[in-house]
Amino acid sequence: MALAIVVVAVVAWRWSGDTPAPDVAAAPAAMAGVDIGDRRGALVDQVVFAQESDLGKVAELIESGTHQLFAQGVSNATVFRRIRDSLGIRYSNAFGSSAELTLNPAGPRFNDGRINPFHVPAMREALNWLVDRRYVAEELYGGLAVPRTLAINTVFPDYARLAEVARTLELRYQHDPERARAAIEREMTALGAARVNGTWVHEGAPVRISILIRTDDQRRRIGDYVGNLLEGLGFEVERLYRAADEASRIWIAGDPAAGRWHIYTGGWVSTLIQRDLSDNFAYYYTPLGRPEPLWQVYRPDPELQTLAERLQRADYTTWDERQAMMSRALELSMTDSVRIWLVDVVNAQPHAANVDLTSDLAGGFGGSALWAYTLRYTDRVGGNVVVALPTLIAEPWNPVAGSNWIFDRMIMRGLTDAVVLPDPYTGLFWPQRIAAAEVAVQDDLPVIQTLDWLTLVREREIVVPADTWIAWDGAASRWISVGERHPDGLTARTRVTVRYEDDFLEHRWHDGTQVSLADLVVPMILAFDRADPESRLYDPAFQLVFDVFMQHFKGMRIVSEAPLVVELYSDQVYPDAEAILAARAPAVAPWHTLALGMLAERQGELAFSSNKADRNEVDWMSYIAGPSLAILARHLSEARASGFVPYAEVAERYLREGEAAARYAALGDWYSERRHFWVDNGPFYLHSVHPVERSVVLRRFTDFPDRADKWLRFDRPRIPALELDGPMIVRSDEAPEFELCITFDDAPYPEADIERAAYLLFDGRGRLRLEGEAESVGDGCWRIVLAAEQIAALGTGANSLEVAVTSVRVSLPAFATHAFATVAAQAGQVTQPAQAAQAATTGPTP
Amino acid sequence: MSEGAALPSGRSGRLRDLRRIVLFTLLRLGGLLLTVTIGVYLTILIANMGGQVDELRIVQIRSTIADAVRANPAFAAMPLDERQALVEGQVQQEIVRLRLDQPFIQRSFDYLWQAMRLDLGRAEQMHSDSGSREVSAIIVERLPATLLLFGTANFLVFFTSIFVALYLSRRYGSLLDRIVIALAPSSAAPGWFYGIFLILIFAFIYPWLPPGGMVQAPPPEDRLTYALSVLQHMVLPVGAMFLSSIFISIYSWRTFFLIHASEDYVEMARAKGLPSSQIELRYVLRPTLPPIVTSFALMLIGLWGGAIILEQVFNWPGLGSLAFRAIGFRDTPVIIASVVIFAYLLAITVFLLDVIYALLDPRVKLGGGGR
Repeated sequence: MALAIVVVAVVAWRWSGDTPAPDVAAAPAAMAGVDIGDRRGALVDQVVFAQESDLGKVAELIESGTHQLFAQGVSNATVFRRIRDSLGIRYSNAFGSSAELTLNPAGPRFNDGRINPFHVPAMREALNWLVDRRYVAEELYGGLAVPRTLAINTVFPDYARLAEVARTLELRYQHDPERARAAIEREMTALGAARVNGTWVHEGAPVRISILIRTDDQRRRIGDYVGNLLEGLGFEVERLYRAADEASRIWIAGDPAAGRWHIYTGGWVSTLIQRDLSDNFAYYYTPLGRPEPLWQVYRPDPELQTLAERLQRADYTTWDERQAMMSRALELSMTDSVRIWLVDVVNAQPHAANVDLTSDLAGGFGGSALWAYTLRYTDRVGGNVVVALPTLIAEPWNPVAGSNWIFDRMIMRGLTDAVVLPDPYTGLFWPQRIAAAEVAVQDDLPVIQTLDWLTLVREREIVVPADTWIAWDGAASRWISVGERHPDGLTARTRVTVRYEDDFLEHRWHDGTQVSLADLVVPMILAFDRADPESRLYDPAFQLVFDVFMQHFKGMRIVSEAPLVVELYSDQVYPDAEAILAARAPAVAPWHTLALGMLAERQGELAFSSNKADRNEVDWMSYIAGPSLAILARHLSEARASGFVPYAEVAERYLREGEAAARYAALGDWYSERRHFWVDNGPFYLHSVHPVERSVVLRRFTDFPDRADKWLRFDRPRIPALELDGPMIVRSDEAPEFELCITFDDAPYPEADIERAAYLLFDGRGRLRLEGEAESVGDGCWRIVLAAEQIAALGTGANSLEVAVTSVRVSLPAFATHAFATVAAQAGQVTQPAQAAQAATTGPTP
Repeated sequence: MSEGAALPSGRSGRLRDLRRIVLFTLLRLGGLLLTVTIGVYLTILIANMGGQVDELRIVQIRSTIADAVRANPAFAAMPLDERQALVEGQVQQEIVRLRLDQPFIQRSFDYLWQAMRLDLGRAEQMHSDSGSREVSAIIVERLPATLLLFGTANFLVFFTSIFVALYLSRRYGSLLDRIVIALAPSSAAPGWFYGIFLILIFAFIYPWLPPGGMVQAPPPEDRLTYALSVLQHMVLPVGAMFLSSIFISIYSWRTFFLIHASEDYVEMARAKGLPSSQIELRYVLRPTLPPIVTSFALMLIGLWGGAIILEQVFNWPGLGSLAFRAIGFRDTPVIIASVVIFAYLLAITVFLLDVIYALLDPRVKLGGGGR
């Protein structure tokens, strides 16, 4: 009967055809025509996060209307096709993960005497020509990947900044199986191997390549593909199919000289846009990367080693110098090739067609800092959105050292209002609570500024004022000033001056109380206190991190309280001024909720961090559920009765009159109503938590200060669309002109947003012969004019003009190609390269 | 156990009986305790692959911390050797926290000693949903969901199959009997297999029922609506378990009853013209009570642990999905706790069944008097 029911139902389903898409399918993606009025905060009224780990249900759950959003990316081709074909579902793409082949370069022989062909760099380099990255992206990943050749992710800003070099190297290492075969034959012969009946034999034994193949995802197919290629070249291939744990014991923990594997199908993930990838070379290609045995057998070219080290410690004085070093390191990393980069994987982020939000280019919805500010129905204001997460409340939440799981952090980001927010498409930072800011750096530091909301100044010397706070004296409960600690004066490499919005201290916490300066000062003192071995809040796990912070921290001072202006001094430098500011600008946290946790930890009942909780055999503090709540509630009663203010000697000076009593009273009401202590200031407040039922409910915070459409300009990544046109045939005495039109949504791309429109001219053999910049002619159009001498220098034959356009609005560069042929000026005449034109060409030939 | 040869009389006889009972109890409990101890220690060894999991966990710890440090912009400008020192420091803290610096054999006996005392201790990686690290809290939190779902399904299957089997045993060879026999092989497929189809049909093609979870999100605030929502969410998983078990269960009980229904004393009762309901209750059901009770008791303790895949398919927050997570985390205390509780429950049930047999079946006596 059971089988009969199933069969009948399945047959009925087959006959009934596809499930009709809900009416919402036809709704527009944007909020065109929807009046938000004077609405503040979020554009929806309620967000429900519910656990759903089965990605196979994505399409059905969204189509049935029970869920509107899946925060987990889809990289499975079958599921993706289902989503793509559904009228009721849309998706955004995130590019944060990548796949590669990790090679084992130990040798020249393994411990058992076998030769390791991949000890030879040229053998490794040859694999770049052997693999067809386009095939991997389009066939093995079903289109959910883009080819990647280099050590830098194709979606991050460094790739766009180095687009010309990147494109040159990509062309140099494009799929060329014959070249791979020739290189491998040459190197294998040099190693003393010979082909016997089509199989490579060394010292009487067939050369066997062991491929450690991850079985968890598409990398299984990559492993099989590479295995087939190597078998085709005459190698014996052993395929070791392993899940993550088993594989890690072999490739990370194992001794590479043991020879248990030659190739591992590796993968890497980044959940945020990394604007500076200059340490990739040290990390991926040198023994400095990690202490594990595999990294310790890396023997890069000395020039690569030096460049990698210098880039990692930012040992350059100008941006141009950095770019030159990056370019050279990219080139050398390709000849080293301990890794063969294959693809950047695309994760489709599905959502209902009538729902939209901003997705991070690297981290997707889960990594988006703007999701709470932009989540909306496209056809109305308000409403309820159900978001599926693969896991939630994975670990206890507390505001000091609570859960760091990506999806827990996603929910928390919706509850808090940061002072700066990262651009989801460039990784740069925009002000949220800052009215003005200045970043001062020593004049020999290669720091750049992209956005104009802050000011970058260069100074010969940055002196830290004597009244700046530099440390906390726990015994005396007071700040230690720079003047006391450094009577001879102190300098720093950077100074950040932040002026908060004028009404910053008038904003409200979710429990209705008003923000005060103590909310800025108490969290800072707490950080110092947790690193003080004499304190009852001391946490050895935090000490390690704090020590790093103190290596570059040079002080902080409150310059003005109305408006609030804060100065911070530090030796830590990032290439972007926006990143320096984001790392320094202090945020606020409600001191009265922190106080309860501090009391509980001081009493030895709970601990902020997991490590300390385990050491003391107490519960890891949770502000939202579980046994912690009763303890925190008791401390609330006590604090309310005693009027407890943490670090009162300092903090009371920053309190309003009656603030402590008002705060604790509001918190008491809050807890009575919501049964948790998570009070914040974001566009949503935490309405209810259902840990066993695996759901969390957020509701709109109506007192949020900003208009609900403040961040809607980040609705989609402004990836430029290019159209390159020009003559197909060019005589060697002609000066051809090519037209480049850059658009977005069929409208001209603003010239001010174009960072660079560079062209590269390749001859028929793929050699870079010329590079330069296109010039704007207005209306989104650009012009490239080549001189007759430059054309003559190409000789006759097919050529390719490649254009790489980078935008300040998105880190993803756009490329276009125009092929044209050069012919002799007169019939029968073969053009010779002109000396002058030859001097204009750049780039080494392969 | 064995049947007594002859019943003694007088005070000395009662003392001898008592002595036999005490001796039997001690021997039985000792044997069961030994069995539990061996079972739990084997679990400890297997869950840790004889200690090899330590190496794996250290690799995982190192990778996780190295990746986290590298991804943290606060450490971006650190020289690599300092960054590695930072990573190493954090790794060592984790190793000490998880006692991976101690030999596995020492830890294995600590685990065993704790487990046998039912001191479930603290989890190493996991937390209860509400945030407690105590293993008992982690398990207790998930227990109601499992008991509710699997209790409902198993009670339904058990009692339905008993009564249908009794009914069929009276109608041996009827059309319904033949249908049940024909459908019995359908139980070869597990509950989760039916679950997938049921979700497809009743949640997606005809969206009448929720595809998973224990209650709607967000959970209703009033109790009645909450209970109704839970019931609604139970329909598909209970249905899946029911479908996968009912036919084989009816078939086996029906066969069992048929065998007993052909006993001479039943034939005699029929010959005497007793009503069939009386024959079923007094002559078939009563003598077969011990195996029924055994089956029922084992079903009850079988509720412990839930079903990993079924709970995953239905996103049900029970002990099965907890075990799944614990195995994924290699959280030895949680894995051991799940096993040791089951082992103790099984041992106690087996012991109690010995006693219950003696009460239910006059032919069975405690004490092994026949030896």
